[in-house]
Amino acid sequence: MSTPLSRRSFLQTLAALPASRLASRLSFTTSRASPAGDTLVVVFLRGAADGLNLAPPYGEPDYYNLRPTLGIPSPGDPQASPAERAIDLDGFFGLHPALAPLLLAWQDQRLAIVQACGAPDESRSHFKAQELMERGVSDESGPASGWLGRHLASLDTGSASPLRALALGERPPRSLSGGIPVAALHSITDFHYLGDSQSLAQLRAALAALYTGPGALCQLGRDTLDLLHTLQGLDPASYQPETSLVYPDTRFGQGLKQIAMLIKTEAGLETAAIDLDGWDTHFAQGSVSGVFARLAGELAAGLAAFYADLHRQMSRLSIVVMSEFGRRARENGSLGTDHGHGGVMLVMGGGVLGGKVYGDWPGLGQGQLVGPGDLAVTTDYRDVLAELCAKRLNNPAVSEIFPAYQPTFPGIFVSGG
Amino acid sequence: MLSRRQFLHLSALLAGGAALQACSPLVRRLADPALPLEQLGELAASPSPAHFQALNRLTFGPRPEERLRVKQIGLPAWIEEQLAPEALDDLPCQLRLRALDTLALEASDLADRSDKLFDNLDRQTVPGELRQAALIRQVYSRRQLYELMVDFWSDHFNISVDKGDCFFLKTVDDRQVIRPHALGNFGDLLWASAHSPAMLHYLDNQANQRGAPNENYAREIMELHTLGVDGGYSQQDVMELARCLTGWTIKDHFWRGEFVFKPALHDPGSKKVLGMEIMPTGQGEVEQVIEALARHPSTALHLARKLSRRFLGDEPTSVSSNQELTQRAARAFLDSHGQIAALLRVILLDGLAQAQPTFKRPNHFICSALRMLGADTDGSQPLQEHLASMGQSYFSWPTPDGYPDSSSAWMGNLMPRWRFAFALVNGGIKGTRLDLQSLAAPLQDLLPAAQADWLSLLLLGHPLEAACRTQLLASLQAAGAQQDDLPALLTVGLLSSPDFQWR
Repeated sequence: MSTPLSRRSFLQTLAALPASRLASRLSFTTSRASPAGDTLVVVFLRGAADGLNLAPPYGEPDYYNLRPTLGIPSPGDPQASPAERAIDLDGFFGLHPALAPLLLAWQDQRLAIVQACGAPDESRSHFKAQELMERGVSDESGPASGWLGRHLASLDTGSASPLRALALGERPPRSLSGGIPVAALHSITDFHYLGDSQSLAQLRAALAALYTGPGALCQLGRDTLDLLHTLQGLDPASYQPETSLVYPDTRFGQGLKQIAMLIKTEAGLETAAIDLDGWDTHFAQGSVSGVFARLAGELAAGLAAFYADLHRQMSRLSIVVMSEFGRRARENGSLGTDHGHGGVMLVMGGGVLGGKVYGDWPGLGQGQLVGPGDLAVTTDYRDVLAELCAKRLNNPAVSEIFPAYQPTFPGIFVSGG
Repeated sequence: MLSRRQFLHLSALLAGGAALQACSPLVRRLADPALPLEQLGELAASPSPAHFQALNRLTFGPRPEERLRVKQIGLPAWIEEQLAPEALDDLPCQLRLRALDTLALEASDLADRSDKLFDNLDRQTVPGELRQAALIRQVYSRRQLYELMVDFWSDHFNISVDKGDCFFLKTVDDRQVIRPHALGNFGDLLWASAHSPAMLHYLDNQANQRGAPNENYAREIMELHTLGVDGGYSQQDVMELARCLTGWTIKDHFWRGEFVFKPALHDPGSKKVLGMEIMPTGQGEVEQVIEALARHPSTALHLARKLSRRFLGDEPTSVSSNQELTQRAARAFLDSHGQIAALLRVILLDGLAQAQPTFKRPNHFICSALRMLGADTDGSQPLQEHLASMGQSYFSWPTPDGYPDSSSAWMGNLMPRWRFAFALVNGGIKGTRLDLQSLAAPLQDLLPAAQADWLSLLLLGHPLEAACRTQLLASLQAAGAQQDDLPALLTVGLLSSPDFQWR
């Protein structure tokens, strides 16, 4: 099979391949040379985060009818203590009080919110919706690779760093698949090897010999050996953030801190993906306190520390926070919310036209809700991501990254990543 | 072999519930994990790599005696043996579980046990013992195919011990739902799962009440447990099944943690699920739906596809023949009224030939290393931490879809695997011991190349390719490795090698 194909037989082969496979194959061959744009951090809120309580539409009377116990009190609600009220953003939308740490970025106009945002999929299945969203496709028929994977594969930044793409966690998310090798690490300290320097040297020699072959796994092994070398000297315990804000002592908070460390060491990081789990709040979601508020607080504290710590790098950073869908407008009988449709996206960074809530507001009234009573989607999440790729990541190939989709840029980013 | 007299003596001890000293010589001999190294010579003469590959899918990593058994009786007969697990004596494995006394307790006792007087709630002991048991069984049970199915159903009916009372309820679910039916009838399994307090708690059904429905469990029954996401149900069906499920809950006080149907919380109206009119019969409504779901053609296909992926890999050599295979397996399932073995028999006997290499999931990676090297482990915390660092703590996957099956999901992170290999061989895992000296005894007088071949026959099923072997030994020599260090270094290297990551 190693004989090179002639041009003619290559074309014949192409003609015989199914179209979807072709697209994913070709994306490897058409990468364009360009320096990397912003370093991108994608935060995925797994479990379908309740956008209606992250950025409550307190100006909409139906909001409080639908959420008699879970609704976040409006900024002027005299019955609620000030700490329990939504923080006003624009006279109509507010911010959950647990997200208060994000106000600095909002006031700097470096944080934007997209309401009623989401995907066309209406399965209301976490697994299907996450998969389609991470693949960046409308339905099962699109390419199997992820949107970030296709972005990275289609942009030749001339970097050979094993850290171009990094996933914090044991497994790279689907969004990063199908492109370049992805480093997944639970913690930088995973790479602080046991054993003395001599046994380490012998082991590395053995591994280098065993991982010489072709194939993705051998490539991963070689990349892992490179990473071992790069990360050997980095110690998160002695890292001093350039802020008095503290990264939460959680996997998410510590993950963000390590991403910050890697950005500052300039080890070639272009894209980092990190998850914050636990948003599937069917039961006892809570309003201004409880499970949901705790998660929102963890999210905000982590992002705020990251924002402050990296203020010198912020002009070259983009952070996107997304979730597979939102939740049912009406609260359920267990003081929780069931699976819904439209949700919310947060976008932060130096190139963000922030301090603004984006997206047409579809309303929560009868006839405005869709399906079993869900917020409609008025901004496709791909509109935001496509604009991000084109304007901040130096990658205008949005038709490869989001095949069979014509994005409309919402105008959230300034050009020049 | 155990003499009849020894066996009777031991049975009497077990039956009488006498406290067995783990260190009694008899028990130690019975539970000895050492490899029958003398048998390896026979395998070296004709290694039959095809059998090794098949066994890598049908076990948590083949031990030499399993490879020899397949050689003797052939693969189909070996599979039939494994499909009837009760006939396989498993005493050595059961002995290793004797110390884990929470495994047999009822829910309320487990709750009491965890509720330490004047102390915090102990949320570690009960799930900790369950995890130990899972690992011990996967490593030491002779009923390997059965344990693989237990592993499969534990994902299919995933319950995370990290959610609320699941930390103790899962022990009951494992004992009363998953294990009794893992190779039995799917309808019985689904029925048991629906009545499982752990499942009802995990998917919020205790909150699903008349006038205040909670769709969580209703959705996952259809999406994950039976029909599959494209299996032909609608949002309306989810909402109607949720209404049927109102009142299915768990006792709070007396008999805490037992299943109970509370008519007062049940939505008494008539319902319609999947086109079926459901008469208001209380608890019987869900049972009617479950029976229909268990024998639905979409369920059969969903299970056939998932089992094909688990045993044959996620990229079958031929998509069309795999479709044909899964359809045939689904048919066998329906014809046998839901017998899991009937479905599995088609997948294995007819499908193994088209199987594709699958990246070992972390538990498979760790168990295969322990099994193939004859290591001794109590499955305790230090070993479990290695599993956790690879992302697969037993019973801890948060979402109801279970730990992923696809190779790509696990291929991002080699470092924890390398760390485990190093720690295992260097005695760095408390509670887990590898007798490297015995293992290396036959290697003493061998040249380095022969040592490498011997170890790779054990771990990879075949000798290393000559070029690879030469390069490996040369780099080790260049890095200053001494002859005496070779068995350990080669073992770490082979466990860490690309080949060992696949099954």
